[in-house]
Amino acid sequence: MKFALALFAPPHAPSSRRALRFAEAALAGGHEIVRVFFYQDSVQLASSLTVSAQDELDLPAAWRTFVQEHRLDGVVCIAAALRRGVLNGEEAQRYGRAGHNLDAPWELSGLGQLHEAAQEADRLICFGGD
Amino acid sequence: MATLHLLSRSPFVDLSGASCLRLLGAGDGLLLTGDAVYALQADSRPFAVLSALPADRPLFALAEDLEARGIAAPDFVQAIDYAEFVELTLRFERVNSWL
Amino acid sequence: MAKSLLLICRRSPWSGPGAREALDVALAGGAFDLPISLLFLDDGVFQLKPAQQPAAVQQKDLTANLQALPLFGVEALYVARADLDSRGLSAEHLSLPATPVEDAHLAALLDQHDLVITL
Repeated sequence: MKFALALFAPPHAPSSRRALRFAEAALAGGHEIVRVFFYQDSVQLASSLTVSAQDELDLPAAWRTFVQEHRLDGVVCIAAALRRGVLNGEEAQRYGRAGHNLDAPWELSGLGQLHEAAQEADRLICFGGD
Repeated sequence: MATLHLLSRSPFVDLSGASCLRLLGAGDGLLLTGDAVYALQADSRPFAVLSALPADRPLFALAEDLEARGIAAPDFVQAIDYAEFVELTLRFERVNSWL
Repeated sequence: MAKSLLLICRRSPWSGPGAREALDVALAGGAFDLPISLLFLDDGVFQLKPAQQPAAVQQKDLTANLQALPLFGVEALYVARADLDSRGLSAEHLSLPATPVEDAHLAALLDQHDLVITL
């Protein structure tokens, strides 16, 4: 079956880790993930500037590795990201910001990508809250 | 036609659980994750509410969240792992997460 | 045929960008001609309260986004009657016409849609 996943909570929210464990289990179960869409505070998962303590789970890194290893479509909502200081090189240049913190495998795009994924998938599963 | 509802917030600080119960119809399922599993704390008010739900509204809880909080699954709740979580979402028409 | 989406809005207009970002999901879906319905639940019903003054807290007027919904083809608006009642609001005096739904009919409303997102 095909899953579309959408995240809404910041990196430190338990639901962001739960989403990753669900995604791993979905692939392990032979299912497909058509897209992972990051909205609201979850856009911070795509920031390359997060520094986790050595003995703590580095969830942004774990998500990045997971998306890369499985060549998934990881889309970050551009409006939500700009609002929260998550920019790629192109947007940093456009808005005259000193640096950027979003690189591959993440892609900035609009909410249409959430709808498209939900339409294509058999199930849309949202993760947010605590 | 039925909905699987996902809760993640503590019933003691957040309305999502109470509102979810207003939307829970016959055949709908409820999966407790994160702090929402505190609703299964024995002798608590939410425990009493959930234990009185009709049998046609199946209850599930994520096993790791129960374990982390030292809560045992009562007999009216099925504890599930992530593989079962994935399959559970496919048994319902749609999944509604309370953020 | 496109899948229908019920968007459940639970946030007050003033609790951060949540309410606006939820409406943005609806507007984006409407722009793609997707069948979208909205249900205002819990504090989300405060989005429909008339005569609010967003400028007082340096916010943009959410009402403009709400008014845009029909222009984007989002015309099915519902509001939980119990939440209007408990918050002292009347279905007859809202900034946008929304159909009041009793609690007993909320599960059926979900059943009428293929997808649900609660924000």
